[in-house]
Amino acid sequence: MPPEVEGTGAVDPFLPYLATIRGMVDLTPDVKLMGLELDDPAIRDSFDYRPGQFAFVSAFGVGEAPFGLTSVAPRREELEFAIRRVGTVTSALQELEPGDKVGLRGPFGNHFPLEDYRGKNIIIIGGGIGMAPLRPVINTILDRRADYGDMLIINGARSPQDLAFAPEFDTWAQAPRTRLELTVDRGDEGWTGSVDLVPTVVGKLKPSPQNAVAITCGPPIMIRFTLAGLRELGFADHQIVTTLEGKMKCGLGKCARCNVGDKYICQDGPVFSFEQISRFIEQF
Amino acid sequence: MSQFMSGEDLRSWLGNLAQERSLIAPTRSDGLVLFGAVSRAEEIALDYDNTLLSPKGHLFPATDTLFTIERKEGGIELVPASVEGEAAIFGIRPCDALGLRVLDKPFLAEPADALYQQRRARTALIGLSCHKASPECFCTSLGTGPDDPSHVDILLTGAGEGYIVQAVTERGKALLATAPLVEAEVTPPPAPSPTPVPTEDIAEVASSVFDAPYWARLADRCIHCNLCAYVCPVCYCFDIRDHSYMGRMERMRTWESCQSPGFSRIAGGYEPRDTKGARLRQRFYHKLLYMPEQFGVIGCTGCGRCVTSCPVNIDIREVISEMQRLGVSGAS
Repeated sequence: MPPEVEGTGAVDPFLPYLATIRGMVDLTPDVKLMGLELDDPAIRDSFDYRPGQFAFVSAFGVGEAPFGLTSVAPRREELEFAIRRVGTVTSALQELEPGDKVGLRGPFGNHFPLEDYRGKNIIIIGGGIGMAPLRPVINTILDRRADYGDMLIINGARSPQDLAFAPEFDTWAQAPRTRLELTVDRGDEGWTGSVDLVPTVVGKLKPSPQNAVAITCGPPIMIRFTLAGLRELGFADHQIVTTLEGKMKCGLGKCARCNVGDKYICQDGPVFSFEQISRFIEQF
Repeated sequence: MSQFMSGEDLRSWLGNLAQERSLIAPTRSDGLVLFGAVSRAEEIALDYDNTLLSPKGHLFPATDTLFTIERKEGGIELVPASVEGEAAIFGIRPCDALGLRVLDKPFLAEPADALYQQRRARTALIGLSCHKASPECFCTSLGTGPDDPSHVDILLTGAGEGYIVQAVTERGKALLATAPLVEAEVTPPPAPSPTPVPTEDIAEVASSVFDAPYWARLADRCIHCNLCAYVCPVCYCFDIRDHSYMGRMERMRTWESCQSPGFSRIAGGYEPRDTKGARLRQRFYHKLLYMPEQFGVIGCTGCGRCVTSCPVNIDIREVISEMQRLGVSGAS
């Protein structure tokens, strides 16, 4: 629980937990992996989260921003966030070092319903920093490999050096019944893999919709064409799941920044199937 | 028989009230009537139609410190903002009292917004019935009315040389314990009748006219000045950011508006509502469709302030009427 508001018995949902940076690793030229440890041992022990949930990380004095948790809770590792430098908060967070203090509020939102996907073939389609919320899906499935069918991972990025989770590619590719396909928009001299847009690779690999679920996250334009490609392959909208990004400020369904139709992305999402999204009155 | 208080007695009761709790009341300043803290009854304006702004900002301030951030011996300490003492808002109109009831829906939903919750619990509402309806008023079309006591602790209604006093809640009764009330045979003047606006089934109608070209056409003249949201007793969108000044760091909450370009822009630059039409529609739909769906209340109280304030005459009454017309004709 967040700290109590003095004398009221109420808790202040805007007050972050304090956390210490334990790891800060360059993943790409503009993405760093930040590993956090919550300072309060009681909160650290009770902090539980699922793949797809997010939290706000504060750079004190600059602000806070929402990030998908990219670690997996059962591994009892640091709370990890892949932070891409896109604005003032992310730039400030990237300048911090191990030992520095940050704030953390969360976890918020729903999660990928992996318990419903047991026995199914899983297709993971991620572009750029969109792989961050998919990484805990992949690692959860690898940790419970026998529970799931075949897994196909399609990961695209602008260039080879923008493939954020390269240190884990060998582990993923060598896991049983798991296939990893990498693609980039522009190769370089060392690149021997595919040079294609993600939706094109989906079209070439033609994953079967039989007993399958496709989970995708990436830039809106990639998602739009990937969705069209999957539908063409026979995937029904309920078999295609994504995580929506919203300009979330509170995570509590109050600030109304992520309101779309009768939903708040922060509370009703961020994970939605396209069957749900297609029923939104406004298309995001 | 009604409970009655003369104008003179009201001032003396309010003067005493101001000694024991912080009293927020309409005051006249440079010709504008605005809610402000008063320490003496003489500062209170009683002859006004409605205040320029609703008292929303006394529970949900335009700029609010959520907590301060203090660096201590290499560590960080967060000091939550505190709310102290009891308060009363005198002179709140029934429409604005309904507005607070609507704000309760998002802000008191679990987990409750701590600052709003504390301020709301500590603030008594002493309402004042409207003696006339302004041309822009349409409260009776939104479930309240010029003498609606439902959302206040005490309602005063001007009659003759004083006020008929209704103690609505237990808190209201307690506040009136020391009030110089007399039993009197007074008849209140007839309540004014604002011009009705066709709000029947507006949520249902809204879901059928979402794609109408009307929204883009209407928004053509919008200059996204955000005044409509600023004066609205219900608009509650906000921003959160840190403010650092002379070594003092605070996390601040400030009012925001869905009419601002960039309101929904996400990291990487994608802007889901990238036209004025989409943003203007969001404001009306949040009020007329999404809030009814989420909370069972319309996000409008008919106070008419946005009508008065809009520099380009975008008029929610006309919008509601036009939605009804488009909905019926299917001429979207």
